[in-house]
Amino acid sequence: MRLVEIVVLIIIILATAYLITVGLRHILPSTNVRPIAKFYLNATYNPFELGNYTVMSPEAVTAIVWDFRGLDTLFETSVFYLALIAGLALTRGLLVEYVEKSGYGLSVVVKTVTKITAPMIMAVGASIALHGHLTPGGGFQGGSVVAVLPMIIIIVFSAGFLVLKGVTTSKLIIMRSLGLFGIGLTAMAVFLVGVALGTPAYVFQNMSKPSAGISMPSHIFGVLISGTLWFFNLFEMFAVAAGFTIAFITLMLARGLETKRGE
Amino acid sequence: MEDINTYFLSVVLASLLMNFTIALYAIFFKPHYVKKVIALTILGDTVNTFAIFIGYRRWVDQTPSRIPVLTDLSSEGVEEFINLAVDPLPQALVLTAIVIGLAVILFLVFLGWILYSHYKTLDMREIKRLRG
Repeated sequence: MRLVEIVVLIIIILATAYLITVGLRHILPSTNVRPIAKFYLNATYNPFELGNYTVMSPEAVTAIVWDFRGLDTLFETSVFYLALIAGLALTRGLLVEYVEKSGYGLSVVVKTVTKITAPMIMAVGASIALHGHLTPGGGFQGGSVVAVLPMIIIIVFSAGFLVLKGVTTSKLIIMRSLGLFGIGLTAMAVFLVGVALGTPAYVFQNMSKPSAGISMPSHIFGVLISGTLWFFNLFEMFAVAAGFTIAFITLMLARGLETKRGE
Repeated sequence: MEDINTYFLSVVLASLLMNFTIALYAIFFKPHYVKKVIALTILGDTVNTFAIFIGYRRWVDQTPSRIPVLTDLSSEGVEEFINLAVDPLPQALVLTAIVIGLAVILFLVFLGWILYSHYKTLDMREIKRLRG
């Protein structure tokens, strides 16, 4: 054991020394950024010079996440979904039946304040997600903010309040699957239109390219929506909010294993 | 002035490295499962902060560097944006890494809960002793 600790410490010291020797010039920020960053910054919203290559999204991070590296983000969403499925599989059959009793939860004041702030939390989350192509934020962040609401409700009212009101895990899984289906449909939308019209188009295509002429509309009624990005953010918000809520409800209500082992 | 800036950026770098080391130590040598998970989150956040730090851009001529969000939708605005904004790529990668890290943490929490149900403890020394 002592040997392992010493070896770990030596490796950390050597790695740090290597990092300082080789990388300090590249690690410490300078007044200039890398050429690839300049490319992204130039291409994110530039219909003036790059007619066919821009994403039409003023938010460079969202442009990278859902357009330049869209496939990456799709699989990232799948990883989150898989983790959730793994959690549900580990707790299968363990959700307790919840019986409503009076007198649960915090005081009337807290409950009333929660009822007032609940729509506001929803509004903030929706705003973050739907303005994801204009301001910092996006579908994942907005969904996380929306998912704060079930957590607060669980704490303020009771662990089974959501289930009693009809927000069951199976409904949430359907909502999550619909969100993922919407993401997949948005990714395929331009391709399907291209197949229908008989013109070349790509999966995950957003704006028109020189070899593929069709594109998603960048404006709807004069409002900038950046093509697929708005739809991706919307569906991702639903998927993430539902996913978090499933996790909260499952962690709160899965109680069966201890009692079963105790019998 | 330039040297002072370099010094402060180095302070941030050294703090991140120290944080990284402490988190690694806690993952390896803390006996409790929950403490290991907390250390893992600290490790992930440190690495994410490090990625953002690499993508930072120093101020050009006393002008603050900008977030990678274009606010002036004109040709001159784009020009200024390219000259002042920080690197957006590490931020996009960190966004992905946060979600993946969250998925891992979620799975580990469920796993720890099952572990507790089976062994009635989350102390790794106890679990090692009880194994088999």
